[in-house]
Order: sequence, then structure tokens, then C-alpha cells
Amino acid sequence: MSRAYRITLKDSDTRRLQAGDEIGTRLEILEILPPEDMGAILREELARRGFQDADDGTVVRKDGDVTITVDPCSGSITVKAETEETVHQEANREASGFNDVGPTEQTLRERVKEQLKQDLDKRFEQEQSRLQNEATERLEQRLKTLEPEISEIVNKVTRDALKQKARQLGDVKEISEDAETGSLTIKIEV
Amino acid sequence: MTREVSRFEFTLLNILRFFLGHAPSDRGLRDLRIQAVRPSCLSGAAIDLVKDSLAKGCVLRLVRAGGWRNDRFLRGGQPVLGRIWERSPLEDRALHFSRHVVEFLLWATSERVHETSAWWDAKELLPADELFYWLAFDACRGDPDVSAVLSCKAAFLENPLCRISFPGELSGTPFGPPNFDACFTGLRAAILECLQPELARRWLRSERSKGQIGDWGTMRNRGEAEHATLSAFLAAARRANRLDLARFVLNVNATLFRGELQPIFWTGGLQGSGPSRLADRLETQRAALAMPRQMRTLCEWEQDARAVGYFDDGYAASQLYKQEWEAAGGETVSVRARAAVDAIEPLRTGTDEANRT
Repeated sequence: MSRAYRITLKDSDTRRLQAGDEIGTRLEILEILPPEDMGAILREELARRGFQDADDGTVVRKDGDVTITVDPCSGSITVKAETEETVHQEANREASGFNDVGPTEQTLRERVKEQLKQDLDKRFEQEQSRLQNEATERLEQRLKTLEPEISEIVNKVTRDALKQKARQLGDVKEISEDAETGSLTIKIEV
Repeated sequence: MTREVSRFEFTLLNILRFFLGHAPSDRGLRDLRIQAVRPSCLSGAAIDLVKDSLAKGCVLRLVRAGGWRNDRFLRGGQPVLGRIWERSPLEDRALHFSRHVVEFLLWATSERVHETSAWWDAKELLPADELFYWLAFDACRGDPDVSAVLSCKAAFLENPLCRISFPGELSGTPFGPPNFDACFTGLRAAILECLQPELARRWLRSERSKGQIGDWGTMRNRGEAEHATLSAFLAAARRANRLDLARFVLNVNATLFRGELQPIFWTGGLQGSGPSRLADRLETQRAALAMPRQMRTLCEWEQDARAVGYFDDGYAASQLYKQEWEAAGGETVSVRARAAVDAIEPLRTGTDEANRT
């Protein structure tokens, strides 16, 4: 006599998922002084804003999950958002079979196991995608606030370089700056 | 005089005429898709006709492409005015073809090119061979199946003329950009001189068609191939002191940037929000603007040219470059191209403010 049976299998897994996104560009620093002097002024300004020296000659600041790396020599800047999360996922599946027709219980069990594995992989993929979107969103948000700061840095470096250049050319008699228009007037006696 | 040829030879000559642009493309492409039994050799009459067609057809194409123009190009560092046959002596512009050309014609006639498994390829090409394969590839671009087969062959992949003209279509290559150094001397340089207007037209059409690309991956592959190719080409031109042979890059940018252009001109057709990573989206957008990005190099050349004094080596060549730059409105073009390139950057670093300061 044919007898039906049902197999219920559960599986779970815990994985450490990581996601990241980054953009790299170059600070447009005018060559008012030799590159090494411009690099030194930039390094100084960045240090004032909380950047710390790294072993490879770059300066780095960590703002939460976002890391900003600047190479003062080349002016290249990288903004990187990273996130990681330990994710636990469970999946269960049921399958029915008959003892006298169709696949054997062992075959059915293996098939369900394989499907369970695929279900879990799919769920982790979705989680990975969610994490990736979060990292990208965080990066985009950070870039919005970083843009004015970078502009300020470039302006400050340009101003300091101009002042230094003026000092090299002669005696500086007067320096006047207009914060509103961004104009800088330096009077020197040669 | 009437010459008699076999049926196979007749088809071969038709295919050759199609490559040279003297036969309708529908008939030429149809012949490429038909198999024919290859004879052990070609008759003398057929060989004579192949030689005659190559000699007349290739020269005619070069002259029509731009060789007829009364233009100024460098000869030994000095600008020389005239048409190609006035600028170069005959021995410097004579076209010599190798056996590879006839081998290719035999293969293309005897096989169904779009689905053949019969091997054919050619390496170590003569300059005239490269011109012929360039013409052949250009003629076959109307049939995606045929051009897909050809684009896997070294004769096209490693052919600098093909790579500078169709970088996007030959992008699936592991070879990277070819070495363009040889293009700036001898006959290859003369061919490049003739093809300047043709290259400008092709690139302009290519740039204008980018706005129709909807797939992010396609755009990135094509743009990266274009950028790598153009960068390698400009670097080789610089090494050879033949900035005049990169004129088409300046002219394409000058035509594009007659007015202000936004990046949407290139990226407007991209469908959906694209890859989830900002890094990938940014790289795709940067790749799309491969041509305007070359203005940075041309701008550097112009600054170098300004620094060349009257008694320095290369004064005449630098004067020629400055004239070309001014004629193209290089300063304005450069500013507009820079604005378009900067517009896609997520971190704009306050250059304007810095300049004002």
C-alpha cells in the first residue's frame, strides 16, 4: 500500500557580511609654490582639521564608518564608506513523497537540503545588497557635507600659499581679506 | 580589355570591391555569408585585377578621406603645406601589400565568415595591409555577426588604425591598447595624415551616439576602451613629436564644445539608477566622457608649446600646434570640456573659488 510522508527540514547560518563603497578624486590645488611646499601647507591644514598621519605618507580621518584619506603630495583624496554586520538567517522547507513511487526518502531529503542551501544563499545575497546600499547611501550623505569642507580647505591652502609667496617676494605691508567675496589683497614692498 | 575569371574569383573580386567601398554593402555582406569551394590557386587575370583594385581603391579612399586637402603637417619638425602628394615624395607614400591580404580575401570568399571555424589570422602587417584591414572592418560593421568574428582576429585587434577608429568595438581584448609608436613615422604617418578628417567624423558620430546607450556596462566598457586608446595614442604622438597627427582629437572637442555641454549629453540614455555602488556609477560616467577628458592633455601640450623659445628645438612644430589650438578656440573648448568633466565629480574642490582668490 502506498504511504505518503512529509519531510520538514530547517537550516540556519550566521555569516559576517561586509560592504563598501568609495570614490577617489583630486584636489585642485593651484601651483603657487613648489609642490612640496603646497603639500606641506595642505598637510598642516588637514592636521588642523583632525587628519592624522598614516605610515604611507597620507593623512587619514575617520568619521564613523567613513574614512577620508588625502595624499598631500599628489592632492588625491579618497572617501571610503565601509560597513559590516553579523547576519543570522534561518530557512525551512517541506516536501512530500510516497514510499513506493517517486524519489526515495534519501534523495528527497538531499534535494530539499540543496534547496534550503539555495534559499539561505539567496537571503544572504539580499542582506549583502541591503548592506551595500546602506554603505553607498552613507557615502553619498557624507560627500554632501564634505564638499564645502574640501572647498574651504582648498581656499585656505591657496590663501596661505599666496601669503607665503608674497613674503618671498618682499616685505608684506598689508593683508586684507574679504570673507564674503573671498578676495585677498596683499600689499608688498619689493 | 576583357579578362576572364572563374566564379570563385568573381566573388572574391566583388568582396574586394565591397571592402574598398566600390560595391553595394548588401551584396558584399551576402557574399561573405556564402561558402565557395576554394581553388588551389588564383589565375593570373584574377591576381592582376586584385592588384589593380587594391592600388586604385586604397589610394582613392585615402585621397577622398582627406589626402586631397591642402593642409599643413610636419616634415622633419617643420610644417609643410600641400596635398599629400605634394608633402611626401612617392617612395614615402607607396603602398606595398603582403600575401596576408590575398590570404584574407581567399578565406573571406571560401568561408561563411559569420560562422566559420576555419582558422585565419595575420600578424606583422605592412602599413598598407593595416589600411586594407581597416577598410575591410569598416565595411563589415553593418553585419554584427561578421564584425564579431573579425573583431577576435589579431589582424584587427592589433591593428592601430582599427583600434583608433573603432576602440569600442574592439574592446573585448586582453591585449590592451596597441603600441601606437610605429604610427607616427613613414607611410603610417602619411596614412594618418590623410585620415584626420575621417577620424574626426567617426569620433564625432561616436560621441553623439553615446547618448543612446542605455546599458551601464556597455557604456563603461566602451568608454574605458576609448579612454585607454586615446591616452595611448596621444602619449605616442607626444613621444614622436607629431602633435599634428592628434589634430582630430582637438577638432572633435572643438565641434562638440561649440556651446556649453552637460554630461547628460553622453550619459542621458543610461537606463535606471545603474550599479548599486557609487564607485561603479562614477567610473561609468567618467568613462562616458573619454573624449573631453583628453583636453587636459592637449591643454598641457599647449602650455609646453608656449614655453618653447625661438632658438629652441621644435619651435616651428610648437608654433604649428599653437596655431591649431587658436584656430580651434582651444582655450574656450578646454574650459567647457573641463566644466563637463568636473560636473560628474561628486567632490568639486572649489577650484573656482581658488581661482578667484
